[in-house]
Amino acid sequence: MTAKRRTLLQIPQGTEGFYLEEAFRHRRIVALLDGLYESWGYLPVHTPIFDFFDNYKPLLGDRALESVYRLIDRDGDLLMLRSDITLFLARQMGLALRAEHLPVRVYYSDIILRHQDREDISRNEFFQSGVELIGRQGEAADLEILLLLERTLALVDLRAVIHLGSHALFAACSAGLSEADRQALGAAIGGRDAERVAGLLQSRDGVSADYLTRLFLFIGDGAELRTLYLEGKRSGFLPEAALRELQHLHSLLEELSALATRPAFRVDLSEIGGQPYYTGIVFQAYLENQDSAIASGGRYDRLLEFFGFPAPSVGFSLLLRKVEPAIRDQGRFDRPTIERVEEESFAKAFLRAEELRKKGKIAVL
Amino acid sequence: MTTHDQPVPLTIALPKGRLLPKILEFFESRGIALTFEDRRLVAYDENGRFKAFLVKNNDLPTYVNHGIAGLGVCGSDVLYESGFRFFKLLTFPFGRTRICLAGRKGLGAETYPRHLAVATKLTRFTQDHFHSRGVPVQVIKLEGSVELAPVLGLAPFIVDLVETGETLRANSLEVIEKLGDVTVHLVANPSYYKLNYQSINRIAELLKESGE
Repeated sequence: MTAKRRTLLQIPQGTEGFYLEEAFRHRRIVALLDGLYESWGYLPVHTPIFDFFDNYKPLLGDRALESVYRLIDRDGDLLMLRSDITLFLARQMGLALRAEHLPVRVYYSDIILRHQDREDISRNEFFQSGVELIGRQGEAADLEILLLLERTLALVDLRAVIHLGSHALFAACSAGLSEADRQALGAAIGGRDAERVAGLLQSRDGVSADYLTRLFLFIGDGAELRTLYLEGKRSGFLPEAALRELQHLHSLLEELSALATRPAFRVDLSEIGGQPYYTGIVFQAYLENQDSAIASGGRYDRLLEFFGFPAPSVGFSLLLRKVEPAIRDQGRFDRPTIERVEEESFAKAFLRAEELRKKGKIAVL
Repeated sequence: MTTHDQPVPLTIALPKGRLLPKILEFFESRGIALTFEDRRLVAYDENGRFKAFLVKNNDLPTYVNHGIAGLGVCGSDVLYESGFRFFKLLTFPFGRTRICLAGRKGLGAETYPRHLAVATKLTRFTQDHFHSRGVPVQVIKLEGSVELAPVLGLAPFIVDLVETGETLRANSLEVIEKLGDVTVHLVANPSYYKLNYQSINRIAELLKESGE
């Protein structure tokens, strides 16, 4: 095979092209979601496709660092392609917003570019659709974002389960650990490695280590969380900040149970946030037959401050291309029937086609 | 939740080869009987809790990563080489072995050159291990019969799994240093676990119980 032929046939990892009916369907879905976000008062934003790497380097975790594409511009500056819209958006908003603008609600639907291993072709992390509520703290803001995610998934009939956890809980319980131990503990909790979690906590206090291991591996409903909270409070194993966060999660779950259209939420305290910028609640949505989470989000109250504009934020992003094949009732987004107009002259055909188009039909000359 | 109330069997990938009889025996001792008929690569346990696939050992993490099988039984060496991150639910009491640096008899650890050349199947582990010790290493990837490399002069050292050391001795090689332990685990695709955690936890508890 010639080198040219080989290059033509190769598909680079971490990006995709899609065409015709598939692209039509994609745009329909995006339009539907954009319409939902707009009906909640969110405005669109577009972020640059690349930016200076050094702006983001301290905010990238190990995995993100491995997957970002970097390039050098003509001046020798190191750039990175947009691998996560939240980060690029934070910088843009940090530059554009002033205190009097807050709160600001924004949404985006755009391409992201990440390296993926050859074995990871099913991840399809090519396109993020999401929202951010900037300038609001507290339960109402967290609920707004969680419910908007639930409504987003419901709109396209994705019966996902949203696992709600907290980075703040982890931060409160890991205070006092060295940075290396804190990172190791975070990795062990995220990986639900009970032996490792217990081992890392054992060095602090054998008695509370058992409780904290159960706490961080907890998945369940509000009643079970309440039991765990009471045990933590009675025993004195948890600092005040951790107790407050558990109460916050419990309160969120109660509200969500009443307001969500179906039982889509669970508390999962092993969800502590995959990105270093999270500060409060964190969550991921899981769907049957998907190899990894389809949506994620949380609260990041200090991210915009990093870019010079202190404003609390909470948001989510949905990996839209990943879930498009799973979106039910696919006919909803298919191209409508096309009417082919044939008349004795082009002018007649054109006028007839225009009439049909005014009636909302697709007419082809 | 509808997701874990459905009576759908959990999917599990099992490795073909030397571990399989031990896995099947262990599962059976906990009341999970899986019988693979001749040349069939899929089997259900009689209680309908498991749908099991037989796959090549090194391919197992790929199947679990893609969620084709939600669970898998796999050695820590293969998991490490895959680079995938799974939930480790259980460590089995069988299949333990060592990862060792070996070379021709008489070559001790003190004879390490500054630049180590090693033939191995375990390329990621070897590189990470020596780099973490500040030792530059040239890794030559082999798919099998690694112990031939020093004999034929491909590389002075090998990194390989060592159980009894019999194969090394037969080729006039010896263990220079143990680099790590290999254990066998029940692992889960994280997304699959989150959706099925109650059924999976029940199975994990059952497997943790002492056998008959």
